[in-house]
Amino acid sequence: MRTNRIWSWLFVALAIAYFALPLIGTFEFSLKMRRAAYSLDAYAVVLGDPRFQQTFMYSVLMALATIAVGVLLVVPTAYWVRLKLPHWRPFMEFMTLLPLVIPPIVIVFGYIRLYNTSSWLPLTGSAMGTNVLLMFGYVVLALPYMYRAVDTGLRAIDVATLTEAAQSLGAGWVTILARVILPNVAVAVLSGAFLTFAIVIGEFVMAALLSRPAFGPYMQLLGANRAYEPAALAVIAFLITWGCMALIQVVSRFAPKPPEQLH
Amino acid sequence: MADPFLSIQHVEKSFGATKVVHDFNLDVEAGEFVSFLGPSGCGKTTVLRMVAGFEEPSAGHILVGGKDITRLRPNQRNIGMVFQAYALFPNLTVAQNIGFGLRVAGASRADIDKRVAEMLALISLPQMADRYPYQLSGGQQQRIALARALAPKPKLLLLDEPLSALDAKVRVSLREEIRSIQKELGITTIFVTHDQEEALSISDRIAVMYGGKAEQVGAPFEIYNRPATRFVANFVGTLNVLEGTVTDASAGTVRVASQDVALKGKLDGSRTGDTLSLALRPEAIALGARPGHDSKLAGEIADVHFLGSVIRVRVGVGGKQISLDTFNNSSTPPPVVGDKTEISFSSGDVLVLH
Ligand SMILES: Nc1ncnc2c1ncn2[C@@H]1O[C@H](COP(=O)(O)OP(=O)(O)OP(=O)(O)O)[C@@H](O)[C@H]1O
Ligand SMILES: [Mg+2]
Repeated sequence: MRTNRIWSWLFVALAIAYFALPLIGTFEFSLKMRRAAYSLDAYAVVLGDPRFQQTFMYSVLMALATIAVGVLLVVPTAYWVRLKLPHWRPFMEFMTLLPLVIPPIVIVFGYIRLYNTSSWLPLTGSAMGTNVLLMFGYVVLALPYMYRAVDTGLRAIDVATLTEAAQSLGAGWVTILARVILPNVAVAVLSGAFLTFAIVIGEFVMAALLSRPAFGPYMQLLGANRAYEPAALAVIAFLITWGCMALIQVVSRFAPKPPEQLH
Repeated sequence: MADPFLSIQHVEKSFGATKVVHDFNLDVEAGEFVSFLGPSGCGKTTVLRMVAGFEEPSAGHILVGGKDITRLRPNQRNIGMVFQAYALFPNLTVAQNIGFGLRVAGASRADIDKRVAEMLALISLPQMADRYPYQLSGGQQQRIALARALAPKPKLLLLDEPLSALDAKVRVSLREEIRSIQKELGITTIFVTHDQEEALSISDRIAVMYGGKAEQVGAPFEIYNRPATRFVANFVGTLNVLEGTVTDASAGTVRVASQDVALKGKLDGSRTGDTLSLALRPEAIALGARPGHDSKLAGEIADVHFLGSVIRVRVGVGGKQISLDTFNNSSTPPPVVGDKTEISFSSGDVLVLH
């Protein structure tokens, strides 16, 4: 018992050191821009850089668009599969896991081949078209998380009976999705949304290869050319990701309670 | 004769190769309360879901008010439905649940509020408007579900075992409430149950179903006292069944457990030597003689169950046990196990099952 305790503490301490030391080191380094004293100078430089503001805003907008399109795509699909095509679920699970297996670089080269300026749909021909292409790439990257979150949310409600109850009260598909299904999976959708946000803000490969002014390439550029600023930027990026995770925790407290369970 | 309000005509349903509903026919008058009664898997839910539009019949037609609705989508039928699992929308309050149908139909805010208040008064839960479903008991949830189904003034109300998930006491009080609301509104109703007491106590008519067919449709009194088939006789109520051999078809005598029983006018179509099953309800049998009882059998008291107002006695007759009920009477001591006795009944109460 006693030795057990010691070993578990030792492992916890090792894990903390493994995860925390680089962070602490980075954070400590980011404060050292001014000689001989800790300061937030590096942060001031980064936050004051107009390119930081531009790329960050660009990625935030991309993230919001990705979330909107992802929700519109995933919620009806997951709902329909649960309601009408339950035997398709293993197939859907496999499909939505593919983005974890296929590297983004493969996906983006595929896009460039399919949608280049001499193709039937020359999306890469204009900035807006390339933005749309990048956004769809992000939707694909976020798919494993979004689909799983929504599907888990749907499992908590009796999809079939609620649908029939709404139908017998005169509701069509759009009403059912908007007023019955979506509100009841809102918390799941939100946690999927925060994960998507974190992924899009940090994404580098797709944005760089499609040469869009996103936050990921900016971080890389800064990292290659400066000393203290990249450390500050890394800490900022960490805070954003952690903020998203914390928000997931917060919203899941507001999950609607299921009514008295049967059986 | 007026046309029936709901007419289910030659409806059949197959899932893949298995046919689960066979040539189902039923006419329901406006304002009538009809129960579907039958064992699990006999197709009650399937027929109800075809009326609601959730399943498409493989053959046949369903008419409401003379209009063929067989191909209409469920949200175009204006038929209210109450489910066993309540199925209230968890994200909406009680008032929003009840107002859902009206809101979908585009009713004005004022009309919705007025109707919701009316419905809450009807189910006697006026103080519950702002609660969420998880804050309600099962019985309250089911009453809200009933109010929600009735709020858009549906043409027809369908209930699929609405009381099965509730405990016994709530079940009885809620079934009476459902019946009185139904009478008050005069709404044509189909109620699915596998509980015969439930069906007998609240229905205008009962359709007893078995193997995807309606075995008999009739008033509770008729179903109970004049079951048309062996299945109905067995399924509805407790039944004592005795095997007998016809000893003289023209005189109407049957030999049961080495005793002769006279059954005048009950043996039409039987011949001497045929074996028959004779069925009797427990309440049609008396211990000892009773005026009007023209048949009797000798036996021995095998078992006595004191149930309060009623005493259920089992009498052994030639290796078979017969249940009968006598009313408790404080001045008469109950029968004693092992005593020789005689049971009597009216030959008119015997059901002959071929
Ligand atoms: N979607 C379906 N696919 C295949 N078979 C089905 C389907 N729905 C019902 N069945 C079958 O049809 C038959 C009738 O089912 P139904 O649900 O109507 O019975 P029920 O009388 O309502 O029974 P219970 O009292 O158990 O609710 C059953 O044998 C059932 O297995
Ligand atoms: Mg059923």
